[in-house]
Amino acid sequence: MKSKVLPGILAFAVAALFMVSSAEAKRRPAKDKIVIGQAIALSGPLAGGVAIAGGPIYELWVEEVNKNGGIYVKEYGKKLPVVLKRYDDKSDIGTMTNLLEKLILNDKVDFVFPPWGTAWLYAAAQIANKYHYILIGGPGGALKLKELKLPYFFQVLNFSETQAPGLAGIFKEVGVKSVAVIYRGDLHGVEYGDAMVPYFKKKGIEVKMKKSYPPGIKDLSPLLKEAKSLGVDAFCAASYPDGGMLLTGQSIELGINFNAFFITVTPFSPNLYRDTFGVDVVEGVMGGGAWNAKSSPGAKELVDKYVSRFGVEPDYWGALYYWSSLQHFQQAIEKAGTLDQKKIRDVMATSTFQTALGPFWYDKNRYFVNHPGEIGQWQKGVFEVIDPGEKRTAPPLYPKPPWPKKKK
Amino acid sequence: MDIARVISKRSSALWAPFLILILLASLPLCAPQYTIILLTTIFMYIVITVSWTMFSGPTGYISLAPAAFFGVGVYTSALLGLVLPLPAIIGIGGLASFCLALFVGALTLRLRGTYFVMFTFGLVELLLHFVLWWEVNITGTTGRVVPTVNNTKVFYFMLIIFVILMFALYTIRGSRFGLALEAIGQNEDAAAHTGVNVTMVKVITFAISAFFMGAAGALMATRWTYIDPKIAFNPLLSFMPVLMAIFGGMGQLYGPIIGAAIFAYLEEFLITRFPYYYMLIFGTIMVIAIVYMPEGLVGLIRRLLKSSTEGRHART
Repeated sequence: MKSKVLPGILAFAVAALFMVSSAEAKRRPAKDKIVIGQAIALSGPLAGGVAIAGGPIYELWVEEVNKNGGIYVKEYGKKLPVVLKRYDDKSDIGTMTNLLEKLILNDKVDFVFPPWGTAWLYAAAQIANKYHYILIGGPGGALKLKELKLPYFFQVLNFSETQAPGLAGIFKEVGVKSVAVIYRGDLHGVEYGDAMVPYFKKKGIEVKMKKSYPPGIKDLSPLLKEAKSLGVDAFCAASYPDGGMLLTGQSIELGINFNAFFITVTPFSPNLYRDTFGVDVVEGVMGGGAWNAKSSPGAKELVDKYVSRFGVEPDYWGALYYWSSLQHFQQAIEKAGTLDQKKIRDVMATSTFQTALGPFWYDKNRYFVNHPGEIGQWQKGVFEVIDPGEKRTAPPLYPKPPWPKKKK
Repeated sequence: MDIARVISKRSSALWAPFLILILLASLPLCAPQYTIILLTTIFMYIVITVSWTMFSGPTGYISLAPAAFFGVGVYTSALLGLVLPLPAIIGIGGLASFCLALFVGALTLRLRGTYFVMFTFGLVELLLHFVLWWEVNITGTTGRVVPTVNNTKVFYFMLIIFVILMFALYTIRGSRFGLALEAIGQNEDAAAHTGVNVTMVKVITFAISAFFMGAAGALMATRWTYIDPKIAFNPLLSFMPVLMAIFGGMGQLYGPIIGAAIFAYLEEFLITRFPYYYMLIFGTIMVIAIVYMPEGLVGLIRRLLKSSTEGRHART
């Protein structure tokens, strides 16, 4: 009996697969909309990050485009509304690569949007490039991506390459003499950790401590205490939201304060960071970023739109970057007058368009360079851009005030 | 039962798998590319689940080490990139896992019950953090790029790994070695008294099952394109084969195959149709499966067949 059951079931399964796959291949709707696919973490450890940084921007953009009737594509002689088709990658890179290929090969979407996280972006960029699909970078960025030379990949967000010299410049300006650097043991952490040290040294700032910590760690107080015992002026951490929240919480608990306190990822979030700890508590904390409503009229408009749609402020690192990159993308499609990836890619690579943050263009490596800011600092509830130069919205606050005493 | 029926039954049992195999092998010629990708993932789960059952099924030792062995394969691929031809990388990935399992098994297969479960899971974390520490402090990197390989090629290699795995499994089950394994599962002390070299049998089976997981890992790394220790040693992969084997039923050879295939397809189906609710639906299905199908899908199929034949008998 059983020997008949097994082949029967398997043969049925294989036959069913044939039928399902051929049926799906035949379905092809007429062109009445632009479908954009995105495999992104809706569950798992990254889902929290998606919700506070980046994720909602794509939804907002799609709604905004459709409010105006869609994107005008000359080839079709009309405005096509945009549909965002999202899959959950479960914060798993294997699932993400599979789903991204499903979107491209099976669902035959017109464009793809990026997943969340540097490592994920890294993998997605290679896959999109393989199928000659444009991939506009979202949350995430790494110097290592540059080495791959992928013609269809556009890097939007700033990262260690420009943020590390920015931070070193600020430290030099305010008179920081020594720093401690800790970093998460992953692509983000290692890259920032390695990038910051040489810039500090170049500015004559002594690096008294440089240590990594494993992702998912539950106690960072030994590193805080060690840095304190070395008497450093500034404490810098390259971390993700879990580490960023932990570090801040433990510093407050232990009453360990530094003249400058910098965390790459987390402080940029007004709802997760500022509102969890309180405006007076985060006063003087620095973070990667950066922009705010004062950066440009378009930035102010984005904050207003975001608040009225989601009830919270957008993140003050990437939101304006992604938003503007999408505006650039839309104008590139309209200029190209087609949905052809190659033609749009060529327009994107060579054209400058006006966006919310001002003029937006990519350099010869297809990296966005006109950043609205590199380093931000919480001052009276506003994430001020404190970079030296014209992008600055407020001078740096130094030394950082001590953590307020806990009310009992 | 007359001789003719026995012969026809035998030959169908022999030929059917070949037919299915030929059908599967010719699939890339006509099926869309994504079907091939999906099938590769399904076969990856089948390979991990079946090789897990190879050791844990007969012996009853619940191993939570698949993620470790799979990860070793993944990392081998990431380290070697495509310096060597793909078959060599798959072989090396498998061998690395084999050696690790041999070493770890020799040290720990004296442990039983919960202790063994805990240890094997600890191994995943140990390897993850060791590789992480190594990469951060010694090589100064954490992410490694694995060059992509043609999807069809990956599918064929996965199919080959699967065929070799099934062949190994049949050979073991039919041999004295397989009987020794069964004996260990039923009563380890009694098996030892009858002259079975208990530790050796366990360690070798453990290592053989690890070989296939490592080989699958080395191959899958080319699909993921970017590898870091957290991605390579994903603890979820330790639990998936256990769930899939339970879902399919461990009593029969085909149980884990059906379990893994349906489980993997179901996941893909739910995740794309209901991205916001699939976890809820998936969880409900799992609870129902465990409550109402204690022997897995195999048990259910058997019960259905039994009732249908009984019904036929009753009618006649």
